[in-house]
Amino acid sequence: MTDLRPILLVEDNPRDLELTLAALAKCNLANEIVIARDGAEALDYLHCRNGFSDRQPGDPAVVLLDLKLPKIDGLEVLEQVKQDPQRRQIPVVMLTSSREERDLVRSYELGVNAFVVKPVNFNEFHEAIQDLGMFWAILNEPPPYLQAGR
Amino acid sequence: MERRGGLPVTAADLDLCAGEPIRIPGSIQPHGALLVLDPDSGHLLQASANAATFLGGGAQIWAARLAAATGLQPVDGYLTIADDGRALLLTGQRTAQGLILELEEAGGGADAAQRQLRRFLDRVEDIDTVAEIAAAAAAEVRVLTGFHRVLAYRFDADGHGTVIAEDGDGTLPSYLDLRFPASDIPAQARELYRVNRLRIIPDAGYSPVPIEPALSPLDGRPLDLGGCGLRSVSPIHLEYMRNMGTWSSMSVSLVVDGRLWGLVSCHHGAPRRVDPRVRATCEFLGRVVSQQIGARVRSAQSQRRIALKRIESGLLVPLARVEGLAEGLIAHPGLWMALTGAEGAAILLDGEVTSVGRVPPADAIRRLGAWLRQGREDPIFATSCLSTQLPEAGQYAENGSGVIVAAISGLHDDAIFWFRPEVVETVRWAGERSKEEPGSDGRIHPRRSFAQWKEQVRGCAIPWMDAEIESARDFRNAIVDFVLRRAEERAALTEELQRTNKELESFSYSVSHDLRAPFRHIVGYAELLRQRETALDEKSQHYLASIVDAAMAAGRLVDDLLRFSHLGRTSLHAARIDMDKLVAEVRRAVEHEHPGRDIEWRIGRLPAAWGDAGLLRQVLLNLVGNAVKYTRDRNPAVITIAGRADERETEYKVSDNGVGFDMAYVGKLFGVFQRLHRAEEFEGTGIGLALSKRIIERHGGRIDADGTLGVGATFCFALPRHR
Repeated sequence: MTDLRPILLVEDNPRDLELTLAALAKCNLANEIVIARDGAEALDYLHCRNGFSDRQPGDPAVVLLDLKLPKIDGLEVLEQVKQDPQRRQIPVVMLTSSREERDLVRSYELGVNAFVVKPVNFNEFHEAIQDLGMFWAILNEPPPYLQAGR
Repeated sequence: MERRGGLPVTAADLDLCAGEPIRIPGSIQPHGALLVLDPDSGHLLQASANAATFLGGGAQIWAARLAAATGLQPVDGYLTIADDGRALLLTGQRTAQGLILELEEAGGGADAAQRQLRRFLDRVEDIDTVAEIAAAAAAEVRVLTGFHRVLAYRFDADGHGTVIAEDGDGTLPSYLDLRFPASDIPAQARELYRVNRLRIIPDAGYSPVPIEPALSPLDGRPLDLGGCGLRSVSPIHLEYMRNMGTWSSMSVSLVVDGRLWGLVSCHHGAPRRVDPRVRATCEFLGRVVSQQIGARVRSAQSQRRIALKRIESGLLVPLARVEGLAEGLIAHPGLWMALTGAEGAAILLDGEVTSVGRVPPADAIRRLGAWLRQGREDPIFATSCLSTQLPEAGQYAENGSGVIVAAISGLHDDAIFWFRPEVVETVRWAGERSKEEPGSDGRIHPRRSFAQWKEQVRGCAIPWMDAEIESARDFRNAIVDFVLRRAEERAALTEELQRTNKELESFSYSVSHDLRAPFRHIVGYAELLRQRETALDEKSQHYLASIVDAAMAAGRLVDDLLRFSHLGRTSLHAARIDMDKLVAEVRRAVEHEHPGRDIEWRIGRLPAAWGDAGLLRQVLLNLVGNAVKYTRDRNPAVITIAGRADERETEYKVSDNGVGFDMAYVGKLFGVFQRLHRAEEFEGTGIGLALSKRIIERHGGRIDADGTLGVGATFCFALPRHR
């Protein structure tokens, strides 16, 4: 990954935040990591408004988006990004605790670029985070219609 | 004007053929005289030609006398004395054509008749049945009048008559139990009988006395004699009477609830006068008998109602307990039919006909249900002659002439039916006893009437009583309530279930998000700690590893539980599955999880399955995974996968030579959290087989296991074939 644009990490749970940051740190990524603690803040960053009005312009290299978020949840953030002609090119990776199929289906309907179920195993999680530089990594869940027999 | 049948000699009925001007014959019978006075001036307008001779004095003189006596007001049973000392009974009625006065000679016997009537009145109170009252009335009228034969008729709802009682001295033939068609008495005659309660023809050989002038000076029309007892009758009727040998006749109407219920009909083999006051007594007797019959009919109806109510509750109680209406009814065929006094009953539900007793064919019942829905608002339909309204019903008249239908759905043809057979079969043939018929021309006799009655009642059943129709209505209302209540209960239950399901769903949704997170955190921090502290001693390393293992196990448990609960909520996506391919793929996945194992795979040709590939993959992963897991001490492990198919199902078997299990615990094998091994022996959450069983059962299939401890286990599941 040579893109030095920042990575936007949207995560409300401090432990998940810390663990994700630890994993990202191990990847030796040069990108700046911007943190938003809820959906509204994430959108503020993307739109350079409120607390982010004086940030350096430009889209993040990728948005790592938790699904369950205060104020505006992950799916809604995803929807707004993907329906915004100026921002729909930004890759969005859904990071979620849940294996709920409907979350998965809904995310793909909204145009998510990857969907990662956070594994309990930290090493797997670590790998997943590492692979996030390249999309469509091992733990990406393919769209439901590509799954066996469906 | 041709008379079609022969109600035997009811006075004055033969002149009542439809269309005949029965009220304006222009003449009277000669046993009295008639005067018509101007109601204002008292001037004589019209008079019968016999007035002067009958009264013994000029009609004008009598007119003045009677105008003074009556004050030109209507009178009833006013006695006046003629110049020669005869007592004359005067009846006067006001009409648009003037005050019509009828005078008739009053003889003796009136007081005796009054005494006789009193005795009858005392007695009739104690008589229970309608038939006995009718018999008593016939006998009483005969005592009062001395006629040779007195009959009591009863008319049914369609106007057909039955002789229900008779009293006679044998001079004239017995007509008891004979039936006569409604056509014997045309509608306008019935109406006249209803209003005018007594008619008499003292002498069938009389010469009519003209009224002069023929037209009323007031309106220029023939005088209306509809209310007059002296009214002359049709010469053809008189001819019939003579032919029948009945030279005199009288009839008294029995009117119940405003309807012509029956007649007391008297005949004599010779001319016979009945004193007007005795006739008045008979008419009064007729009114009393009518009231008594009315009371008995109403009491019978209410008794019937009570009995039917009892039947209804006897039927409703068990119905409330069973699931299906048709099943409930068919379980009580006797009560079902008794509810309306039917001989057959049926229920039409969603096009399905369930029936008991004598009923039309199922197709006919379906068509009847559809026919009834057309433009009918009352949910109850009742007829005793279905074929007159629905011609095709003639084909099944023998079972379905009478029908009550209770529609029980506003949307469908669903209905309950009660049937009665054609009445001809159910009626006693009563004509046999009178073989020799009077009458020279053969045009009129009871046998012919009976044949004609049969013709007219073809396709008709015994009419339904009001109480029976009401019983059907009550039952229908109860059923509809009951059906509706059932539907509502089901809807409420469904709603409740949906609510619970939704709760469960959001519960498991939260669980899936929130319950996994802490385990993830535990593992994550433990790993971070291990990576950071490179100098941990062995014991500390073991503790850390245990923390990670425990949290990972808990995480797996959550995942498995979620998968298990998920299964109830997700729908099956069934399709044809190439099981050879699926098993090969599962084998690779399992081998990948257990690297370095020496396994001898014996995989046969497997029939294709019909099911949800994703779910069946989980089953196979589980069964094959178990086989690999429980053979870890075997070298080599032998795992056999085989399949077979018959016309009903496809079956798959996964066998191993592993540790097996004790068949004593086979029942626990498929339970959630049921484990037959200690945790340190074999890892696992105890959900896998429960999940597999649930998946197979959702496919409508079955799964079972067979094992011997230390020898191996075989798991077998079967799936129904696609139809």
